[in-house]
Amino acid sequence: MISEPIPDLDTLDGPEPRSRRLSRPDLRPTLTWILPPLVALLLLAVAVELWVRLGDVSIWLMPRPTTVIESFFVDFGRYFNEGLKTLAVSLGGLAIGTAAATLLAAGVAHSQMLERAVLPIAIMVKVTPVVALIPLFIIWLGHGWNPKIAIAALITYFPVLINAIAGFRDVDPRMHDFFRSVNASTWEIFRHLRWPAAVPYLFASLKISVTLSLIGAVVAEFFLSGQGGLGAVIWIEQNSLRLEQVFASVLMLTIIGVTLSTAVVVAERLFSWRLDQPVTAS
Amino acid sequence: MSSQSSRAHLVIKHPIEPDAEPAVRLNDVRLTYETKEGKRLDAVDPTTLTIRAGEMTALVGPSGCGKTSLLRIIAGLTPPSGGEVAVFGQPPKVAQQHKRLGLVFQEPALLAWRSVADNIRLGLQLNPRETHSSTEIDELIEMVGLRGFERYRPAELSGGMQQRVALARALAIDPPLLLLDEPFAALDEITREQMRYEVQRLWGISHDPTEPPRSAIFVTHSVPEAVAIADRVLVMSPRPGRIVADIPVSTPRPRRPEHEHSDRFINDTAIVRAALRSPTTPAVPLDAA
Repeated sequence: MISEPIPDLDTLDGPEPRSRRLSRPDLRPTLTWILPPLVALLLLAVAVELWVRLGDVSIWLMPRPTTVIESFFVDFGRYFNEGLKTLAVSLGGLAIGTAAATLLAAGVAHSQMLERAVLPIAIMVKVTPVVALIPLFIIWLGHGWNPKIAIAALITYFPVLINAIAGFRDVDPRMHDFFRSVNASTWEIFRHLRWPAAVPYLFASLKISVTLSLIGAVVAEFFLSGQGGLGAVIWIEQNSLRLEQVFASVLMLTIIGVTLSTAVVVAERLFSWRLDQPVTAS
Repeated sequence: MSSQSSRAHLVIKHPIEPDAEPAVRLNDVRLTYETKEGKRLDAVDPTTLTIRAGEMTALVGPSGCGKTSLLRIIAGLTPPSGGEVAVFGQPPKVAQQHKRLGLVFQEPALLAWRSVADNIRLGLQLNPRETHSSTEIDELIEMVGLRGFERYRPAELSGGMQQRVALARALAIDPPLLLLDEPFAALDEITREQMRYEVQRLWGISHDPTEPPRSAIFVTHSVPEAVAIADRVLVMSPRPGRIVADIPVSTPRPRRPEHEHSDRFINDTAIVRAALRSPTTPAVPLDAA
């Protein structure tokens, strides 16, 4: 006969082991994740180098990877400074687009009328290629930073709007009942229930928006090549067929993109209460 | 009030006060839904009911009979289609404004991003002008047996512990009326039987000597649970819900798990079961409220 000791009720009701999704994972990327793509990238560069050299490819069509790297380091100050301009446009647009979308989403989450009025327009903007508006924005906003930031803002706007609406509404109805049962104000319900519920959604949309804002910034810079930025550098250098400068600028853009995306992931781990991702709404 | 005390702890031993303002008075309260096809659906038939101050009332009935609807009407969360609702002599909205309602649902419904202690604190934090209670969160955590888990997140707790957090959150505002909607239905049988006696220990503890003794309405579809907890069991018929029997429970307080084997307990459960089986012929006549 099996005679197991009867566990007492306290241990039966004890906590389950701390689930993995709640323990914060190590932020330091391990070698196992960094090394394989680096090796693959190196092999690709070597292959291109060999192809250009042995195949006698014209440098007007494809620069050697080594000359690209050389240009990148020799002219590093230029790529860095122009990169900062692009980054500023991208971040400015992201900040304005995200703030405006979050505010509108908060309104939409509270009012069906506002949703009906605003959402069709928002979807119209989404299906329109926003970059088509750049010439108009230049007419309206002049040749400075404004049209570039406006494009970056408009392009980041939609994913944030849709996710924020979903987040503000992802509220347990029983929880909402509890708030009502103590006569909590609409602001208290927003502050303590809707806003925290939306934070994971906002981070999910930021991951999409952050790269979109970079696209918007670069395309806008093509049109405003007098204003600088990596988009302008690419535009000017391709006119003179200096492809190693074009490639070096793209390399700098890749670095900026990786940095921005990583920053969002780090911020999410620091500030978001939920580490497993909710389903994004877009 | 019979047991005034200046001490922080005022333990009320379930004194039902027949002369005090009733906790809840329903007069011909009914609820009718309009379905999508435009048909009328009666959820709750006209119901007249009085719940005295200090009384623990269980509401039993088959699923979908309108128990939860009735509780939501009393809580002021669902407006009735007709009739009058008075909670401590005033509309439920007033009871909400003065934070005199403590709600516990079938699901714990906790804020996932807050710790156990911060979840319990929530009711005190909201609508702060009405926070009179001097309830110490630490004390409450001790009472519900969650010492050591103050900083845990809800997802790190078992279902039973989460439900205790929900109970503590409801008790934190020291409400004179507790509304419990199948609070243990999602728990395993062992935890469930344990919680029956825990809730009875907790529901009488109040800090505010100016409030009437705490009343509670406990919705359940478990007959033994109703008889183990309540002073009085109200039996509802299948939809449209209507109270068909009002059965006093004879087991004396304080109650203990052993009482569930007593003749009184078995007899009371038999009466409730009979009323549930034949809802048209009340086993015990309804008291005229």
